[in-house]
Amino acid sequence: MNALDISAVTYSYGNKAANALNNFSMSVAPGSMHALVGPNGAGKSTLMRVITGQFRSYAGRVTIYGRTMPDRDTLLSIGYAPQPISVYTGLTAMENLLFFGAMAGMPKTRAASRAQEVLEQTGLADHARQLVSTYSGGMQRRLNLAVALLHSPLLLLLDEPTVGIDPQSRYHIYETLTALNAAGMTVLLSTHIMEEAQRLCRAVTLADKGTVIYDGPMSEIDNLERFFLEKTGRGLRDD
Amino acid sequence: MTGQLKELIRKEMLIVLRDRQTIMLLFLMPVALIFFLSLAMEGVWTDKLTGRKIQLVVKNESASFKAKLLEQKIKADPAIQALDRPDQDNDLILADGKTQLVVTIPEGFETGNHPVELYFEPAIDAGYKIAARSLITSLAVEVVMDIDNLEAVMQALIVEKTKPNRELPTPLQQTVPAYAIFAMFFISIPLSIGFLKEKNDGTLQRLFTYPVSTHLITLGKIIPYYIINILQFILMLLVGVFIMQHFISHAFYLGEHPWQMIPVTLAVAAATTGFGVMIAAVGRTQEQASTLAAVSAVLMAVFGGIMVPHAVLPAVLKKAAVISPMYWAHQAYLDIFLRAAPFSGVAPKLIVLTIFAVICFYIAGRRVKWI
Repeated sequence: MNALDISAVTYSYGNKAANALNNFSMSVAPGSMHALVGPNGAGKSTLMRVITGQFRSYAGRVTIYGRTMPDRDTLLSIGYAPQPISVYTGLTAMENLLFFGAMAGMPKTRAASRAQEVLEQTGLADHARQLVSTYSGGMQRRLNLAVALLHSPLLLLLDEPTVGIDPQSRYHIYETLTALNAAGMTVLLSTHIMEEAQRLCRAVTLADKGTVIYDGPMSEIDNLERFFLEKTGRGLRDD
Repeated sequence: MTGQLKELIRKEMLIVLRDRQTIMLLFLMPVALIFFLSLAMEGVWTDKLTGRKIQLVVKNESASFKAKLLEQKIKADPAIQALDRPDQDNDLILADGKTQLVVTIPEGFETGNHPVELYFEPAIDAGYKIAARSLITSLAVEVVMDIDNLEAVMQALIVEKTKPNRELPTPLQQTVPAYAIFAMFFISIPLSIGFLKEKNDGTLQRLFTYPVSTHLITLGKIIPYYIINILQFILMLLVGVFIMQHFISHAFYLGEHPWQMIPVTLAVAAATTGFGVMIAAVGRTQEQASTLAAVSAVLMAVFGGIMVPHAVLPAVLKKAAVISPMYWAHQAYLDIFLRAAPFSGVAPKLIVLTIFAVICFYIAGRRVKWI
């Protein structure tokens, strides 16, 4: 049983003629770290929002560990770190984690102990009682990841987790992801950074304009960036 | 589910109450408005409610007994404050602003051929002018017709039955509920900005990746602001009752049925929260929502008798006031503080406020885009 199966998913934003996702299919094996790569407008973020149940009016099928989405209980199998830093800057890191822990239905004591663990995992333990508005971009990005890890999900979905941060924070996130994956967590990593995808992931799905143009093992690709440009073309994607 | 709702409310309260600008807008602004506008209005109210003494200068040109008696009566009247006459022409006395009225008792007054002359300052308030003329006329009639106390005679003919202060509120009766309501409607600014900020930064979308229902998230947005609205009113009331009495001559009177404040405040808070939720749902950007909220609140205040008491608005504006929910809210409070109205008198205003709230929530429900 795959961690994630996406079968012929088609999704359209009401105000646009073209489908954001068009007959999109891919699978993520349990325990793997899988890259989702594509230029702007490829449908990566839309796919993440379909998987996490934010968009529900799609055609096709999404299953997580065999359970068809959208499903309330299965949501707890997913840890999702969205591309925008989606934490409350008016709260401290600990308050954010306890809040999202409550949203995940975790008992308070369990949420508190897990919060401490993920803060240590992401290097934020010393800043737990600090308002997030005082954090640097890199710290906020790491907290964004900590929130996704809090309820110990089986499948971690990361949408551009290292965008706009300093090399130290990026390195820390890579290390954390590698350790989590080694411990058995399945990771789907959506990224623009080819070097990041090639170094961390064993499988890759390349998407363009809402469709899959490559889905297979990373080992078959010599240079992901060159491969990416060959498949998607070198023209600018500003739309 | 209860735990999730509790955390949603706690989160919202922490964010709102930690924001200095929001605290200033929701709590400090109305306190400052109550403080300064109550003091500013007190002078006007003193005239209207307690009858400021008529300041005048008496010039008696006659040495007759009746002229002296009239002069004495004028100077002794409790409604009059007679000033020493400067050694100046009448026009100069008025121009210098020392008084607004010079009363001249001419020589030959007692014969009935030389009337008492009243020199008014041209820009005098019309009501003040009528009151002064009426008082001097009464005293002149007493002297000329040898009546000892005309007012006592008139009491056999005219009896005043008006209850005191039932139309025009005192400064605090006006400003405390008025600016509490005004500030409560300003809740729409932090509510809409907070909602749109959460939409923009993705935290709202993130909530939908947890097993939390939309209804719970909605309640988690509404309840905190509803509670803050009630806290706002309580704070304004405490300021009015316990603090302002040290700065203003008319203490804040809570009326005969102060318990009615509970249903009125609950209904007003429903209307203000509903308005805030509607602004949050229709606003596309934080700037658009805050502008819409502020402009709407100010316009509702202008029409609703918040800035200027409804009782003194021109007839056209009095009729237009009914379009403002602030009018209904303010009148409901004035029913309690001013008119000692029974609950049946307050209830129609609560119904209007509740309907307003329901309409706002309905529009918000139709227009809201969570993601």
